[in-house]
Amino acid sequence: MPDHETRRKRWEAESRARQEAWMDRIAAQLGRPRQRERPHHPFRGAPDFWQAHALPRDEAIRTFTANFRAVGGQVEEAGTLDDALRFIAAEARRLGARRVMAAGCPEFAPLPDLLPDVDVKFWLAGNAGETEANRDAAGDPVATAAAADIGVVMADHAVALTGSIAVTSAPVQGRSVSLLPPVLFAIVPVSRLATRLGEVLAVWDGLEPGRLPAGIHFISGPSRSADIENDLTIGVHGPGAVWAVLVEQFE
Amino acid sequence: MSTGQSHAGSVKARADRALNDDFLRGAVKRTTERLRSGKAQAAAEQGRWDEWRERGRQIRLHTIAHLDYYLSAFADNARANGAVVHFADDAAEAARIALDIAGPAKTAVKSKSMVTEEIGLNEAFAEAGVEAVETDLGEYIIQLAGELPSHIIIPAIHKNRQQVAELLSADAGETLPPDTKVLAGYVRRKLRDKFLAADIGVTGCNFAVAETGSIAIFENEGNARMVSTLPKTQITFMGMERIVPTWADLEVMATLLPRSATGQKLTVYLSGISGPRRVEDGDGPEELHIIIVDNGRSRQLGDPVFQELLNCIRCGACLNACPVYRHIGGHAYGGTYSGPIGAVLTPALHDHADWNDIADASSLCGACYEACPVKIPLHDMLVELRRRKAEAGRPRPLEALGMKGFAAVMSRSSRYGKALKLARFALGPANRKDGIRLRLGPLKAWNAKRVLPPLPKQAFRERYRTLEQQLRAGLQDMDADVKRHMDRHLAARREREKKEGAISRPGRSVQPPGNPAGDGEGGNPHARS
Repeated sequence: MPDHETRRKRWEAESRARQEAWMDRIAAQLGRPRQRERPHHPFRGAPDFWQAHALPRDEAIRTFTANFRAVGGQVEEAGTLDDALRFIAAEARRLGARRVMAAGCPEFAPLPDLLPDVDVKFWLAGNAGETEANRDAAGDPVATAAAADIGVVMADHAVALTGSIAVTSAPVQGRSVSLLPPVLFAIVPVSRLATRLGEVLAVWDGLEPGRLPAGIHFISGPSRSADIENDLTIGVHGPGAVWAVLVEQFE
Repeated sequence: MSTGQSHAGSVKARADRALNDDFLRGAVKRTTERLRSGKAQAAAEQGRWDEWRERGRQIRLHTIAHLDYYLSAFADNARANGAVVHFADDAAEAARIALDIAGPAKTAVKSKSMVTEEIGLNEAFAEAGVEAVETDLGEYIIQLAGELPSHIIIPAIHKNRQQVAELLSADAGETLPPDTKVLAGYVRRKLRDKFLAADIGVTGCNFAVAETGSIAIFENEGNARMVSTLPKTQITFMGMERIVPTWADLEVMATLLPRSATGQKLTVYLSGISGPRRVEDGDGPEELHIIIVDNGRSRQLGDPVFQELLNCIRCGACLNACPVYRHIGGHAYGGTYSGPIGAVLTPALHDHADWNDIADASSLCGACYEACPVKIPLHDMLVELRRRKAEAGRPRPLEALGMKGFAAVMSRSSRYGKALKLARFALGPANRKDGIRLRLGPLKAWNAKRVLPPLPKQAFRERYRTLEQQLRAGLQDMDADVKRHMDRHLAARREREKKEGAISRPGRSVQPPGNPAGDGEGGNPHARS
């Protein structure tokens, strides 16, 4: 068995050779020379009337809330980050949670003190460096997330018209935190709530390849399936209970 | 090589079996109705749906017309993210590459991917000793049953609760009740262990964003997120045409796809994956391989009729709209893809004579075209398939004879008149006041469930001369302008009919109502009634 480095080099070389051959063939079938420059794209993105669509803040909040609830998600409005953390702690106690996995961002540092009888662990990738928060860092983050009853994340974006929150992979917030525990709490600063999906997607069009987060995840409610006799079931693989905690005053 | 394609027998034979399965028929009917009404509601709520469809169509047309640029950009950008990009000419090569990547690995978990079914990946893995577990609930069920999906979006609709309980009980080694919650709970627990332990995660790709080399996956259960987060190696299969130029364009697809498929505003999860884990990430695959599959797709490029086939976003709306599919379900089509899209895609990808009977399993009503979020003229393509079949000398001899006879009779007004007189004479003895119930010869199939209306005293053709005179007399009283307008309209229509004949150019199928040059009925000129 050739070593991995050798295999990768072989794949790389084959890939580039094939790419040229394929593109030449595509151009030949289309009956024209190779298109090497970016073509003019007159219909890029959503129709103009849509791109002009923007909801005022209060209506955006109402719309997001209605859409998120309509698919079985739950929404709570909190004034400050502190209010939001207290709400999450109260819910965790009400649910009888024993283990909580939170993203390792500094905003969540108060959680262990709010939940003294609960095992609260933070997601921090190994080389994130030694900090105050590290003392509760999870040894094996994926296993810890898999064992947790509740996951707590910070939303990077939210969309009112689709009722979605968006989280991106980062050293302090693994994908597993919003995926493995059966209950998910997402803190959503209202300042990050957009009207249209396209407003959020546009962020990534502006980034250099290689500079994007590896995982971008829009979450629009609890996991579901209707594969058995069209009978709806909630909580199939992803979290079956999802809370969006909207924070009015954040940054 | 594509496995699992049971084109043993014909569409008709498989359809007959399906029509005799009452549960299947009920399930297909309920499912397609639910999805269709969901789509109608979601489209109405979104508003200006036709403008969205046109936008989607333009984006897809533009992308395919410049596929060499966008596919190349995607590959380069995916590499810049750290992914390994592979190109597979056909099914066999795609499977071979996957096994090459797998190396000594023993277990793979898969999320839903029609391409992997098209190439027979599970069989290839099995032969090489790699356990490949389907993790989408419906796919898991049919994997246990050893069957093909019967619907692009909801693969196990042909199974009832009892059958599912039996399959899962056998899998569990204990008796599970036919309760959806319990059954789903069992699958969740069972697959959780598989996700955490598997070496390889396999995904499909709904759209590949060329701008940043990113893969977009739409799902509701969370299993695609699982298989793209936990195993060390991720392999993503994509058809070479699944490209959108930018994330901005992805918004249009994200608006059209979930609404068209299930009536949702957005699927529960929409994931954008740009390469394997970063060095500083705590989870995610260490390696991401993207296998770009051709398998007959590039053959459609440059074909004036079938190139638009590559616009398809695999939503399944055409299945839910098709009156034929709604009666016979997906297995009758015999291949990986069913419904109207399958009826065109399967012959187009595989170029087999065997598949061409699928093109006959259609009433050409055009409901598929009306439903398609990117406006693919599937009904025109079906006619084209039939035409190519006839030209290649593959029609049934009786059909060819029938067509010749029809042409002979219809080409002369006098012959038509004589044929009508003959028919009146032949049917005379069977004519009753309440209709004709004779079940002989050509009337056998028709009158099995219907009654032919009774013959009128005089054929309309014979009455027409008198009627025409009466009409003209009436017209004299009409306003001169109106009469001139009507005469002009009739003349233009006759001119147009003379020029265009029976088959139109692709894409020009539906005349908007009120089109002065149109047929005046505002309907689809190709709707055969």
